[in-house]
Amino acid sequence: MNFSINNQTLKINNQRSMNKVVQFLTLLIICVVFTSCGDDDEVPLLEVASETFSNLHAPQTGGQGQPVAGAFTKFDFSSGEVTTSDTAWDIAFRGTSIIVNGGNSLGTTDEPNRTGDAGVYIATGTMASILEVDVNAFQQDSDTGYAIATGSGNGWYLYNPQAFLITPMAGKILVFKTRNGNFAKVEILSYYKDAPSDPDVTTDESRYFTFNYVYQPNTGITTF
Amino acid sequence: MILNNKIFCFYFSLFIGMVSFSQEAKEKVKDTLTPEKLEEVVVTATRNIRQLSSLPLPVQLISQQDILRSNVVRLNDILNEQTGLITVPDFGGGEGVQMQGLDSQYVLILVDGVPLVGRSAGTLDLSRLAVGNIKQIEIVKGASSSLYGSEALGGVINIITETPTNGFKGAVNYRLSSFNTNDIGTNISYKKNKLGMNAFINRYSSEGYDLIDNDDLNTVEPFSNYTLNTKLTYEFSERTKLFLSGRYYRQDQENIASSNLIGESAINEWNSHLRLSHVHTPKWTSHFEFYATRYKAEEYLNEDDGTRFSDAYFNQLLVRPEVRSSYRFGRKSNLSGGLGFNHESLDRTSFTETPIFNAPYVFAQYDGNLTEKLNVILGARFDAHNEYASQFSPKGAIRYKLNDKIAFKSSLGYGFKAPDFRQLYFDFTNATVGYTVLGYSAVPSAISQLQEQGQIANLIVPIAEFSSELKPENSVSINLGADFKLTPKWRFGLNLFRNNINDLIDTRIIANKTNGQNVFSYFNIDEVFTQGLEFNTTWKPLNKFKISAGYQWLMAKDKNAIQAFEDGDVFARESPSEPSFQLRKEDYFGLLNRSKHMANLKVFYHIPKWNLDTNVRITYRSKYGLFDSNGNSYLDVYDDFVSGYSIVDVAINKTIYKNYQLGFGLDNIFNFTDVQNISNIAGRLIYGKLNIQF
Repeated sequence: MNFSINNQTLKINNQRSMNKVVQFLTLLIICVVFTSCGDDDEVPLLEVASETFSNLHAPQTGGQGQPVAGAFTKFDFSSGEVTTSDTAWDIAFRGTSIIVNGGNSLGTTDEPNRTGDAGVYIATGTMASILEVDVNAFQQDSDTGYAIATGSGNGWYLYNPQAFLITPMAGKILVFKTRNGNFAKVEILSYYKDAPSDPDVTTDESRYFTFNYVYQPNTGITTF
Repeated sequence: MILNNKIFCFYFSLFIGMVSFSQEAKEKVKDTLTPEKLEEVVVTATRNIRQLSSLPLPVQLISQQDILRSNVVRLNDILNEQTGLITVPDFGGGEGVQMQGLDSQYVLILVDGVPLVGRSAGTLDLSRLAVGNIKQIEIVKGASSSLYGSEALGGVINIITETPTNGFKGAVNYRLSSFNTNDIGTNISYKKNKLGMNAFINRYSSEGYDLIDNDDLNTVEPFSNYTLNTKLTYEFSERTKLFLSGRYYRQDQENIASSNLIGESAINEWNSHLRLSHVHTPKWTSHFEFYATRYKAEEYLNEDDGTRFSDAYFNQLLVRPEVRSSYRFGRKSNLSGGLGFNHESLDRTSFTETPIFNAPYVFAQYDGNLTEKLNVILGARFDAHNEYASQFSPKGAIRYKLNDKIAFKSSLGYGFKAPDFRQLYFDFTNATVGYTVLGYSAVPSAISQLQEQGQIANLIVPIAEFSSELKPENSVSINLGADFKLTPKWRFGLNLFRNNINDLIDTRIIANKTNGQNVFSYFNIDEVFTQGLEFNTTWKPLNKFKISAGYQWLMAKDKNAIQAFEDGDVFARESPSEPSFQLRKEDYFGLLNRSKHMANLKVFYHIPKWNLDTNVRITYRSKYGLFDSNGNSYLDVYDDFVSGYSIVDVAINKTIYKNYQLGFGLDNIFNFTDVQNISNIAGRLIYGKLNIQF
């Protein structure tokens, strides 16, 4: 990966047909990179895998004018599992709300305290097209609102008032920074149990998240 | 806007080019005089009587004979069969007409040259109009604000009713059709010497119909309505004539929201129209006109125990005095102009105030035949207004007759539609869902009130943005066409059109509410265009046999949407639970409720031996989208569409003893319905009709 970046640099420099100083600098960079590549060989990069998590159950009580309550269902990207740990979680779900383990609590009932440095932003694109992390775009939860805004069309979903259905917006990729500073991207596919292709609010149980995600296990790497 | 100016300049130079070209050809030998049959005339295109075939504008005419032969009873039925027109139901149940891909709110509806009001949600419901006393319907396509001002952005439909002719004449007709639909009416006319009188009475009622069985509501609830129209003409002298017309319409309908919310709705409408015409000299004529109309709609819902659940009312008044004059000169040329004043008010539920619009206007028009072959119309109108910026609407049209068989025509005009009362003064909160819709002018006070009540979570659009005026929606419309008279029995007309609409008003979220819902208001946001091609042909090989066909190809798109697709900002999923992908430019379908293809075919056949008139009429509409079903806010090819469909109507009319006519027919013979998407198609209708003339 590092090598390819350098090829690019080389090409650009050649194209610009800059003077010898640049050529010297390029050589210098190549030398530096080859040395670092040598370092990488000793600690190989962990594989980046595309995963699907099905039926993450995110119950809540209240709502529709009543105060919302109930435990959030927490998720840890590094293990790819749901967890009940108070600290070792990255994101958590309750109803349509998604919170991150970073920033401050909004203060709703049963809301966990933030112990990490997680953050999120919503990118426009597909899982295939979002390949780099914009490290400056991350937002954290705060006492005035969640980083992933609630409400139809504001965050990750649309609400269809005729069919009473929650559907994830197409082309919205949630890019997360985990509590430890790694990165992950998530596309939510369904809010209904077993991700039916034609959800029906009268028969399909809601508050079951199915999502695709890619976790970058290598710390400091901002690409997927 | 810059683009539009360019188009304007381009067409005006083309226009001038054509004028100079034709002047060179001026010296050609004059046509020999050929006897012509009594020609069809229209008044809507120029506000003067003009031969239909010589107009430089795209005009369609529906004759009384066509209406009678089709056995239709309401205006929407007959308009639906015309090329490029389709009536579309709105959520309130009204049926408005779409013309050149523009909605009902951009089509001005006139009766004898004066407008109808009562557009509660923009749509003017055409089923309000009975066809029993219609002499002809004139349809002018393309922006016509240079003569008619606001609303004439897409075009004008003018319903010309019958005026008294010499002697005593009358007709009684009755039609019974499916769903116990009864139409009964009479039209009586008397004229002797100076005095003429005409009375039209119609009652139309139906038990309604239900397309979806397992709910408490009917698709159309039972209703009955009455139309009464009386006219008086008096000739003070050869030169001075009076026209007086009064129309009254009342409809009562059941209003059912659910099994335990039941009420009634009523519409009361009256129009009074007075016109004094005076011929000053043989060449100079003036009309002094006074028109007033009120449209009042009321409805209520009661709970099971009889307590009132909701009340709603809509009460609009329009008063319009107008003076116009026309002067004839030279080679059938004509200079006309006029001035008038619109006074409008609306008292309505959910309004912050009872607003009043005052709008004086002045217009002028030159209609000249520069040579035998060249006709030019140049006109303009200026509308001032107390609530929004004044509007200047020019229009130019030109017709060049190449020879007896071919004539070219072209027109270019500006059209506008003033923001309506609702877009300015609405203050409505949905009682069950909780969202709020605010008129543009109502925003500052209503928002601060909501803020005081703690209902606003956050403001998305700062209030200061509402200090400037909401601009009228406006368009530049271009029509380029040709008429071909290939043989005396075969006619063919072609028209290309484009409407560039700017400052289209649409709703946008301006604030989030604490209940999770939003506050909407109206903005000038959209730029859309509609363009297409229309052709009409009539072939009449024998006196007893006539075929007519028409076709419209339409493209109606939002420019911002095209941009979003080009930028790659639009995504979709194959099904709700599959990963999303990016859409390409060609995946954008266009505006909602627009079909790419619309066509009609009508065959009329007369059998003299049996005194029998028969006809088959087919209309076709290709697929269209009603809403964005995949939630990316654009209509794309992955959305759900309403499938294309055809409707076939058959009618047979037999005349006995000259004055009696019996009719029988089947509308929608193949019983087409789409219960989910099309509420105004009830399925097959069988009817019988009796018409007696005396």
